[in-house]
Amino acid sequence: MKNIYEVQSANKIKSTIIVVVFVVFVALTVYILSQALGYYWGYEAGGLGGVGLALIISGFISFGSYYFSDQIVLGISGAKEADRKEYFDFYTVAENLAIGAGLPKPKLFVLDDSAPNAFATGRDPKHAVICATTGLLDKLSRTELEGVIAHELSHVRNYDTRLQSVVAVMVGLIALLGDWLLRMRMFGDRDRDRESMGAIFLALGIIFAILSPIIAQLIQLAISRRREFMADVGCVALTKQPRGLISALEKISKDTEPLEAANKATAHLYITNPFKGKRGQGSVGWFSNLFNTHPPVEERIKALYDMV
Amino acid sequence: MIIYPIIVLIVIVIWIISVYNFFVSSKTRIGASTQEIGNQLKRQADLIPNLESSVKGYLSHEKGILQMLTDARKLISTGKDASAKIAELLPKLQVVVESNPELKGNTVVGSLMDELRDTADKVMYARRLLIDLTADFNVKRVTFPSSLVANMFKISEQEGFKASEAETKTPRISL
Repeated sequence: MKNIYEVQSANKIKSTIIVVVFVVFVALTVYILSQALGYYWGYEAGGLGGVGLALIISGFISFGSYYFSDQIVLGISGAKEADRKEYFDFYTVAENLAIGAGLPKPKLFVLDDSAPNAFATGRDPKHAVICATTGLLDKLSRTELEGVIAHELSHVRNYDTRLQSVVAVMVGLIALLGDWLLRMRMFGDRDRDRESMGAIFLALGIIFAILSPIIAQLIQLAISRRREFMADVGCVALTKQPRGLISALEKISKDTEPLEAANKATAHLYITNPFKGKRGQGSVGWFSNLFNTHPPVEERIKALYDMV
Repeated sequence: MIIYPIIVLIVIVIWIISVYNFFVSSKTRIGASTQEIGNQLKRQADLIPNLESSVKGYLSHEKGILQMLTDARKLISTGKDASAKIAELLPKLQVVVESNPELKGNTVVGSLMDELRDTADKVMYARRLLIDLTADFNVKRVTFPSSLVANMFKISEQEGFKASEAETKTPRISL
């Protein structure tokens, strides 16, 4: 048995490290790409004008999904607000956990889908939304539901929607810059005097332009998986009973039905990966794991058992 | 360069201010969460007697019908003529069945249990918030380096939640 507070702080440290790695990687990539772009655009602005432009474009794309994340849920077909009478357990469990976490009660929605799943979104705790499928509410007992909702509420408390949005902006920024550089290489004028430094940056820049979008996405997914572990720990800190979440995860993972309403943009918000049946085994599994938004359920359950 | 010590000093002062503000604001939040516990207990105290009486009222309603039915059945089983008894029972039964298409005693008690569990959970989670906040406060008070600030401003330990004798007594339901 591990002390929940130690697990919690270990998780925080790991999460911070991976976010710092990401920031350093983004800074390095942006520097190299901007230097390489400077080869075409001239060095006066150091290519930073281009970086600013890319940041604005990438930010613009992601801002809407971040700022209006709570309202976008309303747009998902069939999501309706949960009322206390009809969904007594869901409503009261969420209300009680919000009291325990010291957060305002999130808005609660029910999605008419038989695949058991749940997700949380919203730019801050005041605009938080927790959405559960009817499949989840039918199949889980109150204790199990408490585990799932506490997990989602921990996402809210950890500002995971905000973090993932910022990360998405950075990934988009790198992709844009890399794309521009590769286009310049194809169509830009090549008659410029080649300085040695410029040529080095150009060569480096092309390597980065090709590789960095993939690497950035892999780090993004690693952050997402780390935040899942953090939300699991936060759930245990809130409910003090890991067994609820364990048996809920077991039930959900046994259910093979994929969720219809999920798409790639919202996948990281769910309690488990909504795209099921695509998980590999063995060494293939390890590799495909790199591309998953969620850690494997078995690993999460193992980590939870350590806290029992 | 004189600028570096000044920057370091400013950073330290900002840090001291933020730690001090943490202590002061979480003291307020601890106070608020204590009030929240009282609030939830008040809700419980209001809710339980009301639920109890309404469920009791409903059940006595059903109990009467069931009693009459059993009486009639007993009469039949003894071989006596039960028609008089049944004739007496039937109109009453019809009225009840018309106004209540089904006897709902089971669901009524079920939802009473749900409400009881919910109200107990609410009180429990309100207390948990107080416990967590006090723990955070007290941990920060004794761990380095925030303990320096705590000592500087003589910040005292928070007591947190203690279950009193009266509070540990759960209200009972008798049906």
